[in-house]
Amino acid sequence: MPTRRLPIFGRTIFRRTPLGWKQLVHSKGRLAIATAGVAFAVLLVFMQLGFMNMLFDSAVVIHRKLNADIVLLSSTARDFSNAGTFPRTRLLQALGVPGVADAEAFYVTTRDWIKQSDTNRGERGQMLLMGVRPDFKAFQDPVITAQQHLLVETGAALFDRQTRGNFATFRDAVERGERPQTELGGRTVTLVGTMQVGSTFGLEGALLVSDQSFFEFAINRVPGAPSVGLIRVEAGHDVEAVAAAIRARLGGYDDTMVMTMPAFIEHSRNRIQRDSPVAVVFGFGAAIGMLVGLVIVVEILSADVHDHLAEYATLKAMGFTNRSLIGVVFEQSLILSVAGFIPGLAASLALYAVVRSLLTMPIGMTLERLLLVLFLAVALCVIAGAIAMRRVRKADPADVF
Amino acid sequence: MSALGEPAVAVEGLSHWYGTGMTRRQVLFDLDLVLLRGEVMFLMGPSGCGKTTVLTLVGGLRSVQQGSVRVVGRELLGADESRLIANRRNCGFVFQSHNLHRSLTALENVRMGLEAQGRGLPPDADERCRRMLAVVGLEDHAAKRQDQLSGGQRQRVAIARALVSEPPLILADEPTAALDRQTGHDVVALMRHVARERGMTVLMVTHDNRVFDLADRILEMEDGRIVGNRRGDAKFVPPSDLLPPAAHLPRPVNGAAGAVPRDGAGGSVRSDSLPL
Repeated sequence: MPTRRLPIFGRTIFRRTPLGWKQLVHSKGRLAIATAGVAFAVLLVFMQLGFMNMLFDSAVVIHRKLNADIVLLSSTARDFSNAGTFPRTRLLQALGVPGVADAEAFYVTTRDWIKQSDTNRGERGQMLLMGVRPDFKAFQDPVITAQQHLLVETGAALFDRQTRGNFATFRDAVERGERPQTELGGRTVTLVGTMQVGSTFGLEGALLVSDQSFFEFAINRVPGAPSVGLIRVEAGHDVEAVAAAIRARLGGYDDTMVMTMPAFIEHSRNRIQRDSPVAVVFGFGAAIGMLVGLVIVVEILSADVHDHLAEYATLKAMGFTNRSLIGVVFEQSLILSVAGFIPGLAASLALYAVVRSLLTMPIGMTLERLLLVLFLAVALCVIAGAIAMRRVRKADPADVF
Repeated sequence: MSALGEPAVAVEGLSHWYGTGMTRRQVLFDLDLVLLRGEVMFLMGPSGCGKTTVLTLVGGLRSVQQGSVRVVGRELLGADESRLIANRRNCGFVFQSHNLHRSLTALENVRMGLEAQGRGLPPDADERCRRMLAVVGLEDHAAKRQDQLSGGQRQRVAIARALVSEPPLILADEPTAALDRQTGHDVVALMRHVARERGMTVLMVTHDNRVFDLADRILEMEDGRIVGNRRGDAKFVPPSDLLPPAAHLPRPVNGAAGAVPRDGAGGSVRSDSLPL
């Protein structure tokens, strides 16, 4: 009967002397080292996973800001800055599909520019150059839309205020309306406003110009070959259904892909995950972090078990089973995992903030990552406990005499 | 079975070896001994004579290799791990160096004696432990850890830990070795007093002739054999539930007042006629 069993269970679980905890807090120095070891492992894993996801997220940071329900893309597109091109005619064909409200060409390339940062004035860097018709609302951000009319002037550009480097003076000059100039792709560019986009691993920042200016800076590009087609769907229409209809309309052409925006983001993330070695590199780094933590915790737990071996043997002599003593080691493992996880998490959040501020890249904590690393920390400590408890199992109660 | 009921410990033809192959060495040779319920028996002899081995075999800390060891009626020869653990739970152990947990308070150390029973703690566990600490005179030291206790106090905590679950058999290994004369005597006297009060049997390994006055019987061992069996200075009185009504009356017979004949006919028994 549950009413009879529960009190026995409760007595067993909750009225047991927390021997593992008592032993840990009794050796405060050792507890501090073990906690620091787990925290260090947690920090390493969080940073590796954070950097990896930052890379993936930075690859789609502009995707998320675009004002489109469906995109057209070259079938050979690699990533946003190397999107390739597709025939503009496909956009016109898509316009004829019921439910399509609007379709516009978006041009993307990379160009060298001469930095005007406070510390690296005159050095060359590489920027993402985006071109769009000034009267087309290509971005969701109203700040960008409100300034797009300034791009009508040839050579005028909006400057990404999150461009990597110390551009405070330059940015302030732009925002004061001083229209500072520098060189982009060998031509003069005038910065007439700022926007918020964000840098990526390979590119320092972004500039937005009109489609006409784009062809001035990228003389190898032509209006008939856009990088991305931005399509908006009329209200009340199912985006998936409209995308399918466009696909059907373009069925005879294999030079263009049609994707909804979420699919485009997923496609771009998958592409970089699959094609670049970063997942392996950062995954390896995370594994090394785990290994370091494992070694530290195994050492600490083993030393603790060794120090208390006579006491464990005494308990065995008194009638404790191996299972109950192994429970003590597992109790210590779980305490260490939680005790190490909390400072590790706090340090990771602080470092994420530092990286965000220094690199202006999208790094942040997600619930999934937090739970994953918590699980890994617990698993790490349980494995360490399993290794250490072999000694407990070997403790001979006859040795206490 | 004698009129005194099932003996607490009955050992018959016990032999034991350590090591294997060329290093195999016999340490016990065909030992017989009987420990009556309520009896306080000291086991003495030079180092390496096998007395601690006897203690560990009776306590179920080692497996019996040859011969019979019955503890409160249960045979240990051929016992599996679970039966050995069950036997350990029938014994209260007092060790030479007390073996208290450094991280636990006196109360928590005593509580481990109850937790070792593997049945979960009873609701009145702390109260029982406090009472046991009071019995050994440490009621005001319940919250102290071992580094805050003297050697004698630590050994008294160890005794409280061994007795708190009220096991039928107490096994003690040189409990006075680390104590001064007076403290050692006090500790053993306390153990004897509490054990007698609760009808427990005591088997204690000791070299300490300063506490011989507290033994009902003293067995002497040498080279793995029992070479002497003599009465201690204390007078053995079996637990009252085992005595026939007439035995409660003082009847000095054979100069061993208070002892009981093995045939249960009343009167007393000479300790030197007690079974080995």
